[in-house]
Amino acid sequence: MEYAIDIREQEAVVRLRGRLTFNDHAKLRALIQEMLQNKAKRQVLDLSNLEFVDSAGIGMLLIAREEMTNIDKQFVLRGAQGQVKRVLSVAQLGKIISIEE
Amino acid sequence: MAPIQVAALHGLGVPQDRLERLASASGLSVWQARGGAGGTRSRPSRPADPAGRVVVVVDSASPEELRAGLDKPFTALVESVGLTEGDLVATLVHAAGYDLYVSLTTVTANRLELANRIATAIAHRHPMAEARREDMELALHEATTNAVIHGNLGMDSMKGLSITALDRFSRDLTARLTDPAFAKRRLEVSVGIDQGGATVEVADQGSGFSAKPSGSGGASGRGLELIAAIAQSYEILDGGRRIRMRFAL
Repeated sequence: MEYAIDIREQEAVVRLRGRLTFNDHAKLRALIQEMLQNKAKRQVLDLSNLEFVDSAGIGMLLIAREEMTNIDKQFVLRGAQGQVKRVLSVAQLGKIISIEE
Repeated sequence: MAPIQVAALHGLGVPQDRLERLASASGLSVWQARGGAGGTRSRPSRPADPAGRVVVVVDSASPEELRAGLDKPFTALVESVGLTEGDLVATLVHAAGYDLYVSLTTVTANRLELANRIATAIAHRHPMAEARREDMELALHEATTNAVIHGNLGMDSMKGLSITALDRFSRDLTARLTDPAFAKRRLEVSVGIDQGGATVEVADQGSGFSAKPSGSGGASGRGLELIAAIAQSYEILDGGRRIRMRFAL
C-alpha cells in the first residue's frame, strides 16, 4: 500500500493506492502519525485507487478514526469502489465511520 | 490399453538425480514440458497429460518462479525445507491427490500473495465473474491470514482501538516472522474442484484456537465474518487448526 497526503488549511486528503492488508501495519502507523500532526480539522481518506482491503485493514482504519476522534478531528472515507466498497458494506463500517461516495 | 494417468513431478532448484529419486519414491513421473528440450538423460519419460496433475517440489526458487508455481500446468507447490525425505515423499503423494495444493513455510506463504495465486488458479479451471473471484480471494486471504498470524505465529488479535495496540501488533509480527521457530511452521492449502464449486481447506501448525464471537467495534475479529458472508459454508476442524470452506461456483 502506498499513500500521498495533501494538506490544506481546513482539510487533509490522503490518497491510498494498492492493497491494504495486515502487512501494511508500519505504513499505517506512519500515516496515522502524519494525520494526527497536521493542523487540518478534517482528515479525508480517498480510497478510489485502493484495490483490496482485508479485515486487518478495516481494523487499522478503525484505529485511525479512534485516534482522530480523540483529538476532535473529523475522519472520512471517500471514493471506495469494487472489492473495497463491498467489504466496507459487509463490515457495516458506515455505522461507525463517515463514508462518502 | 489406455495409458494410466499418473501425476508428474517438477523440481525448482532440485538436482536431477534427487528429482528422479523423489519421483520414483512418490509413484510420479518426471515432468517434461510439451515440446521442450527434454531431460539430459536418454531414458524415456511420459509426456505430461494436459488433464493430469503436476506437483512442483521446491528446494530453492526465485520469487517469480514461486509466483508461477500454481500456473498451468502446475497443480501443487511443496517446499522441501525442514522435511525429512520420508515426510517430503508423503507430502508429494498427498499433493497429487488434489486439484490444487500447497505446503509452504509461513515466511514463503506470506511473501507469495497466496490467496491471490489460489483464487486465480481456481478461476482458470472454473471460469467465474471477476467480482466472484475477488470475493473468493478475500475469503482465502482471511483464512490464510488467520492461519499465519493466530495459528503459526501464535499471536493474539489486536486488543483495543489504539495506536498502542497497533504498535504491539507490529512489533510482535516483525519479531515472529524472523524467529525460525515460528517462521518455519507450515501452511497447507488443499483444493477440490467439482461441478458445483470448490472446497478449500487451510491448515496451520499452531496450537489451535476457539472462535470468539466477533465483538462489535474492536480492531480484530472480522475475518470469519467476511468468510461467512462469502463462502456457502465453513467448518473449523482439528481444534481450530483447520478451516474447510465451500464456495458455490
